[in-house]
Amino acid sequence: MLESLQRHDGWLQERNPVVKLLVLFGVIAVMLFVNDPWTPLFMVGLAGLLLRLLGAVPFKTFLMYLAPFSLFALSFLWIHTFFPGERGETVLFTLGPMTIARENVMTGLAFGMRAMVFASWSLLFIMTTEPSKLMLSLIQHLRLPARYGYGIMAAYRFLPILQEELRTIRAAHRIRGLGESGGIRGKWNEIKRYAIPLLAGAIRKADRVAIAMESKGFDDSRDRVFYREIRFTVHDVLYGLLMFALLAAVLYFK
Amino acid sequence: MANNPMSGHPKHSRGQQRAPRIGLYDIVVMAAISIVFGVLYLLWIFFGQFVQAMLGPVAWGILAGMWVLAPIICAYIIRKPGIALIAELIAAGTEVLAGSVNAGVVMLLGLTQGLGAELAFALFRYRNYRLPVLMLAGILGMFANFITIYFVYGYDHLSTLIVTFQLVAMLISGAVMGGWGGKAIADALGRTGVLNRFALGKELREESGNHGLS
Repeated sequence: MLESLQRHDGWLQERNPVVKLLVLFGVIAVMLFVNDPWTPLFMVGLAGLLLRLLGAVPFKTFLMYLAPFSLFALSFLWIHTFFPGERGETVLFTLGPMTIARENVMTGLAFGMRAMVFASWSLLFIMTTEPSKLMLSLIQHLRLPARYGYGIMAAYRFLPILQEELRTIRAAHRIRGLGESGGIRGKWNEIKRYAIPLLAGAIRKADRVAIAMESKGFDDSRDRVFYREIRFTVHDVLYGLLMFALLAAVLYFK
Repeated sequence: MANNPMSGHPKHSRGQQRAPRIGLYDIVVMAAISIVFGVLYLLWIFFGQFVQAMLGPVAWGILAGMWVLAPIICAYIIRKPGIALIAELIAAGTEVLAGSVNAGVVMLLGLTQGLGAELAFALFRYRNYRLPVLMLAGILGMFANFITIYFVYGYDHLSTLIVTFQLVAMLISGAVMGGWGGKAIADALGRTGVLNRFALGKELREESGNHGLS
């Protein structure tokens, strides 16, 4: 699902990963200075619209990814309403000994919406950026040493293998009579029993891969050429400038 | 116990001078560990967000120590400057690559928590990796997390009492889950023999060797 979105031939998908990363951090930084609920609402809508128009991501998909997160965002509403630093003056209603003030509800709403902005712009980044493109871009444009970039990418490939391994370990334990046990304590023991063999297997694999890479000269001792060059074009400059102009405007008009 | 007598890459034992370089070998092993924890973190985030939504920020604080396991375990195993920070960045990066909905904040937290944990090891000049230092790393990592979310999610608008309770819960969780739990996991891993090339593996072997003699 995510992968097919990332591979889609859209304008956002083609933008330089480092530029998109900078925009994401720019959005987070600017939102720290915004304390009303309406600006964030605009930013969430903008992320959805950009994804739809320039990334061919349907609104439905965008909202589907955002939905579980909104539960977390909503928690700010009740936390700020029930445990404010200072109670607001416009009392809406009382709930037992607790007075609910309009100001506090609005603050909660503002911070909940702020969290939604972070999530929606993170989605804009994740849904349009292939992981390997991001790594290559970090190596090519941010001068991340190649041994880090390729080392991490190699280890990232272990994930599906580790999943398979977990199944094997489970089956091996079960055939020796160590079945799934109930209760929190039983679950905890189970996790402990699986974690060590799984991690040990990951380390063994890493060991072998590292030796193979070193024997092929995968260190930073020479100038590297790339099979896949990540581009940095006028469009990227344009995208970055436009987004930062927008963020400056948000900061000015908030 | 499979104690592999063949020790160390020649390349790595040579580089043990003032500031040992983090080589490809360290990076791939550290990445493998951090990636496993990155996936675990991602599951823990779902759980944590659910807990926060239902029970509030203090309950969330009790769970938070989980997020400093990767830097503490990797630093304790490899024992070189910079490992804690890089391990936490890789773990955060894994969450992003796996499609975390909150990628931006996750990366920010990875950076600040990594820096916090790293600070603890730097304070002891990267020479002391005993339990109290690991627990300090957990505490500082959690403190850095707290400072980050304090600004990111506007905790200055919240009741001081709640925020203080949350901070205390987080610090305890960092020390216990992160420091003590991290050491327990790494020691158990060391006993399997897969870490024999690393500082921790060597230390564990020396200990068992001494016991054999006395």
